[in-house]
Amino acid sequence: MRPTPPAIEAGLTSPFPRSERLVGVTRDLDRGRTSPEAAEKAFVEAETELVTLEEKLFSNVTAGYLRWNDLLRPIAESWGSFRVGPLTRWLETNTFYRQPILTGPPRRTPGAIAGRLPPPLRQRPARGRVLLPGPYTLLRCLENQSSIAESDVLLRLGQELGDEVAELGQAGFATVQFTDPVLVTAPPEGQLATATVDAYTAIARSSPKVRTVVWTYGSSAGPVLPLLDRLPVSMVGIDLADTEPEELRPGPPGQGLGLGILDPRTTLPETLADTAAIVRDAVRLRPTDHLWLGPGAPIDLLPTRPAEEKLLRLSDVHQMLLREGL
Amino acid sequence: MTTGLFPTQEIGSLQKPSLEALREWEPRLHFLEKLERLPDEVLRHPDVTTLQNLRAAFALAYLETAGLDRVYDGEARRIEMYEYAVRQMTGFEFQGHVRSWDSKYYRKGTIVGPVGLVAPYHLEEFEFVRAHTDRQVKLPVTGPYTLADWSYNEYYLARQSGWKGHAQRRAAQREFVVDLARRVLRPTLQRLVEHGCRIIQIDEPAAGTHPDEADLVVEGFNEAVQGLDAEFSIHICYSRYQDLLPTLLEAKACRQWAWEFANRDDPTHDGYEVLKLLREYGDRRSVGLGVLDVHRDQLETPEIVAERIGRAARYLGDPARIWVNPDCGLRTRSLEVAYAKLRAMTAGAGLARRVQDGTAG
Repeated sequence: MRPTPPAIEAGLTSPFPRSERLVGVTRDLDRGRTSPEAAEKAFVEAETELVTLEEKLFSNVTAGYLRWNDLLRPIAESWGSFRVGPLTRWLETNTFYRQPILTGPPRRTPGAIAGRLPPPLRQRPARGRVLLPGPYTLLRCLENQSSIAESDVLLRLGQELGDEVAELGQAGFATVQFTDPVLVTAPPEGQLATATVDAYTAIARSSPKVRTVVWTYGSSAGPVLPLLDRLPVSMVGIDLADTEPEELRPGPPGQGLGLGILDPRTTLPETLADTAAIVRDAVRLRPTDHLWLGPGAPIDLLPTRPAEEKLLRLSDVHQMLLREGL
Repeated sequence: MTTGLFPTQEIGSLQKPSLEALREWEPRLHFLEKLERLPDEVLRHPDVTTLQNLRAAFALAYLETAGLDRVYDGEARRIEMYEYAVRQMTGFEFQGHVRSWDSKYYRKGTIVGPVGLVAPYHLEEFEFVRAHTDRQVKLPVTGPYTLADWSYNEYYLARQSGWKGHAQRRAAQREFVVDLARRVLRPTLQRLVEHGCRIIQIDEPAAGTHPDEADLVVEGFNEAVQGLDAEFSIHICYSRYQDLLPTLLEAKACRQWAWEFANRDDPTHDGYEVLKLLREYGDRRSVGLGVLDVHRDQLETPEIVAERIGRAARYLGDPARIWVNPDCGLRTRSLEVAYAKLRAMTAGAGLARRVQDGTAG
């Protein structure tokens, strides 16, 4: 008897780029040339347009997180013992984030993250994909000015993020993605590796009904698979622009597999045949019953037009694999 | 011009002053004296070239009055360091804006054909600067690796067959960098050198973003400067320099490393410690020592600057190899803040000089 083919889904895994119109509006807002009301109207229109496209193409929606200045900012701005620090380079890119400064035990503020989610996403929690920084990446990207040891900070971040997931679960959100690229760009070792597993365990315990995803990119996941296999999450995401399929091996039973099959570091569109072939290779080496396809690195590394073209290409690949099978 | 230890230099772009700002600064800098007398009407409504000349003269007077020994024009004629250069080339298309941070964006080009040069660039601005200052002139040029890294690579990547994974991306990037160096940078630098440009800084801020591509940074630099007789330096900011060493040392024609240090120097972390590595590798080149954090408004004091210079001198084991500069361009700071920082820098260099001479009070 042939094994049951995996369920295949596709969708966004990162904030979407701001449209040229939003670029103009946000610049104008900065320079006092437009009103906050006009900017709000432009954001609502852009979010509505994007969520409509996502609903048409995919099962999950994000509404693009267009208002977020960076992935860490909502936490840096709203959690207790955090403040917003200096501009810092985001991994190996030419984009920057404001470094969160931690001055004491991290304490989440109930409702603060949910309140910062894009409005169209809040209206569609069951189909929504909430994006949060993974605890290890958050640890590595913040400046720890507290007297708390790194591994303890990491565990506390896991507990607080777990409470965040529980709150989001109660609001009806079905999927929370933890974007955790530093797991592969500068993997944790020793005590920090143990604390990483503990942090994700705290997240998993908080709300078993919510599907949790850890998404990696920026370097090969191959050497880190033994650690990723220990994380009690519903799905692990691997960027195939950085990871050769030959580096993959079977994962834990029941764990889903996310594959980054769009490379936002080039505007060159991926070809259907090459992309389908690499997906088939990857799934052959790391079998799964639940496959997710998306951009590997954040798609907002691209301007809007090529990002939209790639999104359509993602849908084409998804449909092709659904039609022809893996 | 400072004689003796710790001469000072600019390192990058300044905020471009508005007409109002130019009017406000004129009584302090007297930069209009550098230009032929302009009618009031022209000053009120300058055309693009006149405004660029005004801004360049302003920047020169600003840096001179702050006390710097090596100056330039604050990159007054460039949109910014990437787009200005790319617009002098063929093979690129712009497809829209990409966010740098918050509501700050830049236009990132896509290379869609073989890269080519419309005409060598930067000569006009160099000749203007040379004619309007008696200080040493150091010209900054965006390097081939950064131009490639900050672009989307379509043309060269499409030449790679099959799935575009890590190996294919790297091979395509190498081709792109080498073409930029040979077809764009080398003829541009050659023309500048032929016209008397003696001190040239190759800006490679992207060098630190992919440490495993440090060899491409070096290959691009070596190809770009091959056979040219000038004093070349390489400016790299916001990087873990230890990750680029020793590969970077193969840039044999580079005579100075201009790096950022102040950004990572605080009471809990010694930002200058990496200099010890240069000593361990036996590297004898000079260092452009970043002593001003360009991302914070908080002003460095002359004492902090002097302490940083002294510490770096101990680590290098040779104070004579130190030039003093901001970490990077000061364009994100207001003109007032940037000026105060530069004044603190030159005062700090003077203080460090007196400490070395044993004449500090």
